Parts: sequence; C-alpha cells; structure tokens
Amino acid sequence: MMSSVPATDRKSKLLVYSIEECPVCGQKTKRAFAVGDYVTKEAAKCTKCGNQTRVSLVYAESTKPSG
Amino acid sequence: MSLISSIGLQGLTGLSSGDTVTIIYIIFFMGLFVFQFAFGTRIQVYFALNDIGRGLSKLKVMKEKSRKEAIDYLVNVGKAANDPSQRVDQFLDYVTIMPVGIDPQGLVNKIDHVVTTNNDRVRAEVGALVTQNNPVTVSISENLLEVATALNMIHKVVRHYYILGKKTNSYFTLIQLQMLMPMIIQESDALLNAVDSFKVGQPVGDGIGPVSVSKFMVGKEKRAIAKDTVMAISEYKGRKLYIVKADGPMAYVGQPGVAIKKIVEEMGVKPSAIVMIDAALKLEGEKTGEIAEGVGAAIGGIGVEKFQIEEVATTHKVPLYAILVKQSILEAITVMRKEIAEASERVVQTLQRVIEEKTKEGDDVVVAGIGNTLGVAQ
Repeated sequence: MMSSVPATDRKSKLLVYSIEECPVCGQKTKRAFAVGDYVTKEAAKCTKCGNQTRVSLVYAESTKPSG
Repeated sequence: MSLISSIGLQGLTGLSSGDTVTIIYIIFFMGLFVFQFAFGTRIQVYFALNDIGRGLSKLKVMKEKSRKEAIDYLVNVGKAANDPSQRVDQFLDYVTIMPVGIDPQGLVNKIDHVVTTNNDRVRAEVGALVTQNNPVTVSISENLLEVATALNMIHKVVRHYYILGKKTNSYFTLIQLQMLMPMIIQESDALLNAVDSFKVGQPVGDGIGPVSVSKFMVGKEKRAIAKDTVMAISEYKGRKLYIVKADGPMAYVGQPGVAIKKIVEEMGVKPSAIVMIDAALKLEGEKTGEIAEGVGAAIGGIGVEKFQIEEVATTHKVPLYAILVKQSILEAITVMRKEIAEASERVVQTLQRVIEEKTKEGDDVVVAGIGNTLGVAQ
C-alpha cells in the first residue's frame, strides 16, 4: 500500500541525450547530454553539409540497468 | 484426557462429544465477534498509524534531501558568499497569505498582486544569496527552493494529521490519511526527482509548449513583452504569427496572460485566433506524448494567467484553441521523456493544421507555448 514508484520505474535508469539537427539538410545526430546544453543552442558543424547545427531536442530514454 | 472429560461431561449433561465441540466453536466465534466489535477499530488504527508513520519517515527523508540539494547548489554553483542554511530554513517557512474571497470583486487582481510580490521577493532573496549573477543559476536556485518548500509543507501537513489522529484516536482521520498516503508519496517522489533535472538545466516535460514554439522563433528578432516573457513575429502561409513563450533557457514560466493582453490591447493586433500549447496531466491508461486538441485557455497555475487570457479573448471575441500533450505529474516535472519530446513535431503539424483551418491568409494569429522553459531557449 505504501509503494510509491512503479516497479518498472524503479528498475529502469534514465539516460539523457541531446539531438543536434542541421537546419539545411535535416541530418540529426544523437549524443549524450552535456551540462550547458539547451534547445536551440548552436552545436557542432553538420558532418554532411558543413552547416551550423542546433540542439533541437533534449530528452531522456529509459534503459534497463545492466546486470 | 479429553476423551475422559467428554465422557464425564456426557455423563453429566447428556451431550455427545460432537455437541461439546460445537458448543466450544460457538463460544469461540461469539468471543471473536465480541472482541472484533470491541477492539477491531483500535487494531485498524494501530495498523494505520504504522503505515502513515512509515510514509512520514519517507517524507522527512525527502524533505531533508531537497533542502540539502538546494543548499549545495547555492554554495557550489551559486557561489553563495556565506553559509545559506539559516536563510534557506527561513525561506522554507515563509508563507503567502491569499486575499480574502468573501467579496469576489477584483479578487484575481488581488491574487496576482500577492503572487507577484512573492515571486519578486523570492528572486530578490535568491539574488542576494548567490554571487553568481547568471540568470539561469538564479532561476534554478528559485526552483530548487520551491521544491524544498513544497516538500517541507507536505511533510508538515501530513505530520499534523498524523499527530492529530493519534491524539484524538480518530479512526476516520487516520484511515483517510492512510488512503491518501500512496498518492502523497508519489507526488513527493516526483518533486524530489525534479531536483536532478533542475540542477543541470535539463528541459522538463512541462516544457513541451516552449519546445514546440521555439521552432518558430529561432533566428527571429525577440523582444521582452512581459516579465520573463518574450515574443517573436513569424509567418506561416500568409498568416502573421505572434509567438509567445517564457524567456529560456531560464527556469521561468513567464506571464503569458500579460503578454497576450499587451499584443491585443497595446500593440493593436486583432488576432483571428489564439492557439495555446501546453502539457496536460494524463489519466491512468492514457499514453504519454498523446496529443489532444480542444478549445479554451490551456494553462495551469493559480488561475490568474488563465483569467487574463479568457478575459482578453472574450472582450475581443477571439477564439481560443488548445493543443495538449499528455503526461503524468512525474513526467511533467522531471527531465523530458523521449515520447514527449518527439511529440513536438506532431504538435507543430497540428498547430499548422489548426492555423490553416481556422484562419485565412492575411490574418494575425497569437501562438503561446505555455510551461516551464528550463533548458529551452528561443
């Protein structure tokens, strides 16, 4: 009765990613979130067309812990 | 031995051993019934007190952890000049007294005044505590202190009813509290989990509105239109869009009500529609990231902003449309989940369809992304 968090939530771990998107060719690159990242922040040059990419999304994905 | 005694009893009373067993059963169950009648409630009270006591211990741990996290952040990131512990403790017990409601005339303005005073006070005090003048750091500190205050208040209220129920031996007080405890613990857990996202400036689920509208604001000229709120003008298929969101990447919610009022009444814009995008609490069974459409002012909070938006829309006969992204309370205040973030593309498509269906070329449309804009610039 006192259980507060669903068992699945307790077992899963959240990993946070930043998605860099090129506004010209639309290429998306997924990388681990770094402190200081925010949506619309200018990121690395696009590996496909060389244009300036921006962080388009920051989100967490749940994953089962190994072991 | 029992055989001899039953023979003896049989000899005395004329009852068979089977009858004796039956009588013993009847006496036992009658005794049990009387015992349950007399002490059943007390036993339940005992179990309820144990259950609530365990929950209360959890709440205490959560409250202390959130306080420590806030102090650590003020010291390590905010570079507080002195030990902020005493100031933080005073802050946790600070109360906001809501205006009297027996005369409802002008009540919303009074609430707005009290809430604005409180928000200004919080920012000024946090600003005085931290030596880091970075607005993101100050806004995160404000949010961390708000979380610590909320958990402190939850713990105090639950403790109050626990002690009251114990003192008065009030069965109904304790049973109601026992029933509510799982929900209270779940919400408190969500608040505590929010601390981790706030500390590193990650967008939270509630920020889906700002994430969606930020796509229309990138590269456009932005201007401050209300406290912590920015506006940019964009264009879509011949319509002029007035995009409003809180100023990111700070952890602000802004004043969208004031902003929309200014656009309509001070800038003289005559919008054909106001479209609001916000996170909405899902019901159990609904999927995270599902989109719902509707009409009305899609905004939560204490009600001041909602009132202002409804008032301006009603006065100027502007239809209000809502696009909502479903999520749980935990998902709304912790780091944005993939399902919510990926809904932003569908939100934009829905917004574009609503604009095409409800307005025509040459029209003005106000679009507001509602929610906490932590980690979401424009």
